[in-house]
Amino acid sequence: MGPRHWAVDRYLVVSDTELSNEKEFYFDEVVTALVMFSMLWAVVAMSVGVYIAAELIWPSLDLGMPWLSFGRLRPLHTNGVIFGFGVSALMGTAFYSVQRTSHVPLFAPKLAWVCCFGWQICVLLGGMSLLAGWTSSKEYAELEWPFDIAITILWVCFGIVFFGTIAKRRIKPIYISNWFYGGLIIVIAMLHIVNNLAIPVTMSKSYSLFSGAPDAIVQWWYGHNAVGFLLTGGFLGMMYYFLPKQAERPIWSYRLSIVAFWAFTYSYIWAGPHHLHYNAVPEWVQFLGVGMSLVLLAPSWATMINGIMTVSSASEKLKTDPALKFIVLSLAFYGLATFEGPMMAIRSVNVVSHFTDWTIGHVHSGALGWNAMITYGTFYFLVPRLVGAKLYSVKLANIHFWLALAGTMLYVLSMWGAGVSQGLLWLSLDAIGELSFSFKDIMASMPPFYALRLVAGLVFLFGTMLMTFNLFMTIIGRPTIQVEPPIVSEEWAVK
Amino acid sequence: MKDVVSSWLLFRVLFNPTSVFEELSNAEPQAHLIFLKYVLWLAIVPPVFAYIGASKFGWRLGAEQPLIVPSNDLVLISIAYFFALLFGFVSAAIVAQWMASTYGARHALGIHFALIAIIAAPLVAGSVMHLFPHVFLNVVGLIPPLIWSMYLLYKGLPIVLDISPERGMLMASALIGYLLVGAVSLLGLTVALWGRGIGPSIGI
Repeated sequence: MGPRHWAVDRYLVVSDTELSNEKEFYFDEVVTALVMFSMLWAVVAMSVGVYIAAELIWPSLDLGMPWLSFGRLRPLHTNGVIFGFGVSALMGTAFYSVQRTSHVPLFAPKLAWVCCFGWQICVLLGGMSLLAGWTSSKEYAELEWPFDIAITILWVCFGIVFFGTIAKRRIKPIYISNWFYGGLIIVIAMLHIVNNLAIPVTMSKSYSLFSGAPDAIVQWWYGHNAVGFLLTGGFLGMMYYFLPKQAERPIWSYRLSIVAFWAFTYSYIWAGPHHLHYNAVPEWVQFLGVGMSLVLLAPSWATMINGIMTVSSASEKLKTDPALKFIVLSLAFYGLATFEGPMMAIRSVNVVSHFTDWTIGHVHSGALGWNAMITYGTFYFLVPRLVGAKLYSVKLANIHFWLALAGTMLYVLSMWGAGVSQGLLWLSLDAIGELSFSFKDIMASMPPFYALRLVAGLVFLFGTMLMTFNLFMTIIGRPTIQVEPPIVSEEWAVK
Repeated sequence: MKDVVSSWLLFRVLFNPTSVFEELSNAEPQAHLIFLKYVLWLAIVPPVFAYIGASKFGWRLGAEQPLIVPSNDLVLISIAYFFALLFGFVSAAIVAQWMASTYGARHALGIHFALIAIIAAPLVAGSVMHLFPHVFLNVVGLIPPLIWSMYLLYKGLPIVLDISPERGMLMASALIGYLLVGAVSLLGLTVALWGRGIGPSIGI
């Protein structure tokens, strides 16, 4: 058995043959809790997204109340989805997979509970602070300084639990999913701390240490790499562990996954300036952003091909496993989003696409098609195993699959149509060289697209609710089962 | 195995797809015949509709006044659209053939040309919407054909390429990935051409 097989194969082979005499178990209760919180946040945050989609058609839906205004609900939606749904899912799956790939129970399980509940309290109170109008005005980093400090402490706790587990591992190699989860923890810590450096003025207000163009560069260094290392890297960690487990075969090319990891890590970190084209940042910085964005296509697609090839010979699993098709489709949307992103980073495309709904469509082809789909596929696989029961309803999961696909496609199509129209209309010149259309006129023509987007959001949300119901019914009344780590063979054991 | 397929294939696939799947599963059409008989015409229809619609009504992007694009530019854009679609058809068939060995599917290029042609047929029929180039109406009008095309892809691929439905699902999803990339490339290419002065007058 070569090194590329080690994680999946060792587990499968050894767990059935030799069992440890010591009674120690993986610590999975915290995983179950995090999965449940993640589903809860998915429903809440996506509902907020649907509500603000409706507000863009009927602005009076804010009922004249500031806390229902689009400006406050929009960061609630993005923070709720990314930090509530996304990070809870990443924490849960990281805790689950790091134990199994290290063949030891979680390091400092009480600290893992602190991470779990601390994070939920942080998301809840942070969300309420956004509703109250507290904001640093940095996109995806809107939470004010008290929350920034709390997030930093909780993130360090997350790192201690994760790396502590790796440090006490019983098997020598560190499986590829752990490299991605580890990259997520280290890079997000770095980005979060640097971008949120600020001077507090009151409890609810602080001012960034950076100003002007450097502030914009730091903000988009953060913003783009939050996409990179959290929404891409973190979820790739999820993919690299759960896809081979579901397909019951090793990753197609372990070597390719390692090469892709380092290429991804090196190139992503430079790509942020593509958010600042034609702005007051040096042109060479903009071109550096374009160059590195184009380079990124290689590791992104290497990973996609690795995933598709891994699953290509596991077709029989589709007969019984509704989870796998979510992951298969998530790879297709991952391919789309990671191609579309570099394309939109090219200045001659960006000049039209920037400040339009095309960007919103791009984000959602990634967020719905990639992040949500792979998480859903993972949850459908994980939850029945956590509680040792069959999925409550395979039929509901299959319906969910088609709802998720339809919702994502409709969303992307509506925003492509709206975005390209806006881009062309913003820039249209009349016979004497003046802008042909006013901003107000252009936006007045958008409600049909926004209505289609609202329908798409409702369809996707309904699917998410079905899954939440399905998985809660699977979990309810059942304790998390106890699983013993398998013995590691001499060849691979840490001496 | 027959080396030719019957006429009216593309019309039948709109209303009675099962018979088309079964016919193709027993046929071994030659790539150049499928190309000349079907693909070429499928690629011509949308640009012709788009040209007629744009010259008659202008581009209706939602603003009060339609965007009137100069006739010369419209011809250039329509020709570019034709070649982009042709490239899309041919490259999708070649990519499908390349994927076939991974999924244990039939390998002959002709059958992949035929498969892509039948999948594209509803979308080409839906391109009749280009005769009135209102962007939103085109987006909405193309949704039912898109659903039908996806149905043909997922349902027809395993039958035509003689693989199990599960393998067909995997291959169809992989192909969707390529087709989505193709669609977004068309958008990117269009926008880049506008920036080069081909198309409406924009302030870049």
